[in-house]
Amino acid sequence: MPAPAEPVLRAADLHKTYGGGLLRRGGVHAVAGVSLELHAGETLGIVGESGCGKSTLARMLVGLEHPDSGQVTFHGKPFARGRRIPREVRRRVQMVFQDPLTSLNPRMTILDIVAEPLDVHRLAKDRTARRARVGELLELVGLAPELMNRFPYEFSGGQRQRIGIARALATDPEVIVCDEPVSALDMSVQAQVVNLLSDLQKRLGVALVFIAHDLAVVRHVSHRVGVMYLGRMAELGDAADVYGAPAHPYTAALMSAAPVPRPQARHRERIVLAGDPPSPVDPPSGCRFRTRCPQAADVCASDTPPLQGPGTHLAACHFAAFGA
Amino acid sequence: MTGSRAADPPALEIRDLEVTFSGSRGGVPAVRGVDLVIRPGETLALLGESGSGKSVTARAIMGLLEGPGVDVRMSRAQVGGRDLLTQDPEQRRLLRGSVMTMVFQDALSALNPVLTIGDQIGELFRTHRGATRAQARKHAIDLLKLVGIPAAESRVRDYPHQFSGGMRQRILIAMAVALEPDLLIADEPTTALDVTVQAQILRLIDRLRRELGTAVLLITHDLGVAAEVADRVAVMYAGRIVETSAVEEIYDRPAHPYTEALLAAIPDLERPSEQLLAIPGAPPRPGTVGAGCAFEPRCSRSSSLCDRERPLLTVLPGSPHRAAACHHTQEVLDAGTG
Repeated sequence: MPAPAEPVLRAADLHKTYGGGLLRRGGVHAVAGVSLELHAGETLGIVGESGCGKSTLARMLVGLEHPDSGQVTFHGKPFARGRRIPREVRRRVQMVFQDPLTSLNPRMTILDIVAEPLDVHRLAKDRTARRARVGELLELVGLAPELMNRFPYEFSGGQRQRIGIARALATDPEVIVCDEPVSALDMSVQAQVVNLLSDLQKRLGVALVFIAHDLAVVRHVSHRVGVMYLGRMAELGDAADVYGAPAHPYTAALMSAAPVPRPQARHRERIVLAGDPPSPVDPPSGCRFRTRCPQAADVCASDTPPLQGPGTHLAACHFAAFGA
Repeated sequence: MTGSRAADPPALEIRDLEVTFSGSRGGVPAVRGVDLVIRPGETLALLGESGSGKSVTARAIMGLLEGPGVDVRMSRAQVGGRDLLTQDPEQRRLLRGSVMTMVFQDALSALNPVLTIGDQIGELFRTHRGATRAQARKHAIDLLKLVGIPAAESRVRDYPHQFSGGMRQRILIAMAVALEPDLLIADEPTTALDVTVQAQILRLIDRLRRELGTAVLLITHDLGVAAEVADRVAVMYAGRIVETSAVEEIYDRPAHPYTEALLAAIPDLERPSEQLLAIPGAPPRPGTVGAGCAFEPRCSRSSSLCDRERPLLTVLPGSPHRAAACHHTQEVLDAGTG
């Protein structure tokens, strides 16, 4: 597939540090130099463990957080820095949150929740059109339009996540950033929401950024996958390449540590990493993975490996094993 | 080794466990007739979604549900050959921490933030074994080494907040195995942890089970975690066990439509597929289940019989160690072979 000339969304060298300042020593380096491109109609999966910066990245991609440096561009136009994000960008880039209960106002009806973006962007010309559009959106996500006068507590977790998706779709977005959209759901319900998202993408051609810690779910939905470790992108490429032949030792360890729902796989060779991920307050010098890496050498402490590779498959490692 | 153990009494035997919470609109049955038997050195995974009653089962066995508003009944309850039903509350209290122990999901809230971990581990030896402070401290250091905490001699003086999540879970496990219990109950021990740390903790629990011969009751919602460490799996749905079997059989050839549907609904990392087979609807809230099979409204194999009559947990013909509660078990099994 030839890459289209201009990606829908592009992030260039994003940095974000929380806290710190004159009086307090050091801040949390949540995201430290992440670049990515999102093309129309594709799903980019982002995996990583807690504290790797994937949620901060998500919030910068939709403009909820401003990067300290670097910029996000939408169709080549930069998000305004320091000032409000242009209305057009906010309309076309939407977000679905992890917890479907806390992201829905408990005192608003489903009608008002889903219609709020229509009101903000003045997309419904009158009350009848507003109701009709909400009914249409609810149907799109597999909910009966008759339910629109109910309140969030009357719905199950899976249904609430559908409502969150309907709200995100209200403004005809070109990009939806989903931050852990299924991890708060029961396992028998997760598949419903995963299937809904892939189905909507096929029908509407919307580009998705799908952030999750569940490797299998990300593989299932994504065309391309980025693996994050401690604020940086460790590996980025087509899902089949990243999962089939991981080039970065962290990706390899992550894949081999993931539990497999087949008892026969129990005795497979596994890379078990020692220790926990280091604190993002005081990240290691050079390659941030070197403190847990089985292949670490002196060069890893002194030089930060760039994210590079032979084609579309990129890894940030001095000893990246491509095409293994 | 397993041959000699087969003659021992089971590490845990529970019959007809019923737990009912009293609410403003009458009793809410959370667990409705659960039997569990675990042999010494065996790991049983109790698998279920939120609201299935798996954690309530664990707490009822530990005796953590006593109090107003909860009614716990069992017809038989034995841990390591001791009958829990004939003991007074003080005797049962002494069994907790020594004969049966529990590892919780959230290690930070399970540890006392104002005591050093050395004091907290040592307390077990002082309370249950009458050890002196010095002896207790020495035992604590040995245990920290056993569960792989580096620099145990100095870290024994640290407080819980000074450890990472994975380390805190190791400390809880150290406390759980300190007095070599017959039964270790682990309630979602790795759910709050990252994947790479989860692998370490599962490996640690498995190693201790082998070295100490402890029986493990693993409460989990994760089919992958159960497949990694369990010898047997019991699947819970709406307060009842709907299927129980050896781990290989339940994954290869499930006997209950719920187990079958769950396995089809989760993506497999190594075998990506086009479409996941989603289960319609959501798990029922406790107390809203009718007379028939609780899974009937979501089941692809349901018939009019399922709506009327609740299927009993029945041993499968020809497989004495497998049981399923479904009117259509044979259909499910035949589908698995095909």
